[in-house]
Amino acid sequence: TYIQCHLLSHFPIFYSAELAGVRSEIISVPQQLTSLQLWEEIVKRHPRLAAIQDQVVFAVCQEYVLLGDQLLALQSGDEVAIIPPISGG
Amino acid sequence: MNENEDEPKDFIKLNYEKLSTDEVSELVISPCCGAVSLFIGTTRNNFEGKKVIHLEYEAYSPMAEAEIKKICRDVRQKWPSVKHIAVHHRLGLVPVTEASVIVAVSSPQRVASLEAVQYCINTLKATVPIWKKEIYEEAHSWKENKECFWANVEK
Repeated sequence: TYIQCHLLSHFPIFYSAELAGVRSEIISVPQQLTSLQLWEEIVKRHPRLAAIQDQVVFAVCQEYVLLGDQLLALQSGDEVAIIPPISGG
Repeated sequence: MNENEDEPKDFIKLNYEKLSTDEVSELVISPCCGAVSLFIGTTRNNFEGKKVIHLEYEAYSPMAEAEIKKICRDVRQKWPSVKHIAVHHRLGLVPVTEASVIVAVSSPQRVASLEAVQYCINTLKATVPIWKKEIYEEAHSWKENKECFWANVEK
C-alpha cells in the first residue's frame, strides 16, 4: 500500500546555491518502510540531498527518527520533516 | 487560598518579539519559592575573528514547543521541588547584545533552580529544532551546535 505523506524540509544551507526556508511537498511512499528506505525514496526525488545524509535526522509526526533500520508505519497525511543540525539557544 | 493558582506551570514562548527579562522572571515567581534562577543567551559580536552584525533564528515551531515541553517534564522528574519553568526563545532577527533566549526556573531552595536552568539550556541546544544564522559584514553562516545529539562533528 502506498500512502501520501507531507514532507517538510528545513534547508538552511547545504549547497553553494542556498535553499533557505521551509519547502513543503506531498510525496507518495510505501506505508511500511525503514527510515533509511524513506530517505532513499526522498533522495530519488531530490538527488542533491544525498550529500547531506550524514548530517540529518527525520522528525516523523514531530518525533525524531534517526536514518536507519527503524520500521515506520506511516499514515496518510503524516508529516515528515528533514532536520539538519540545530543551533538554537 | 486557592491552591490551583500556584500549580507548577511551564511557560513556553517562541515568537518574533524582543525578549523581556522582567516578564520572564515575573512568570516564575511564587510565594513558596525562595529562588529564581535565570539564563539569558545574547548575541555576540564576533565569531572566529569575523564581525557579527546580527543573528537570524528560525524554528520548526510546533516541534520546538513540544521538545521544550519534554525538557520541562524531564526537569520536574530530576528536580521535583521545581515550581515554575519559563523558556522564551526569540525568532527572526536578533541584533548584537540582545537576548535570543531566556530560561527561568523557580524553586523553594536555590540548588534545584540553578541546576535546572543549566540543564534546560544545555538540553535545548542539543534537541530543540531551532536554527541560527550568523550575519557577518561580508557574508553569513548557518550554525551547528556541538551539543546537537545526532551531529557527528568529528568525522
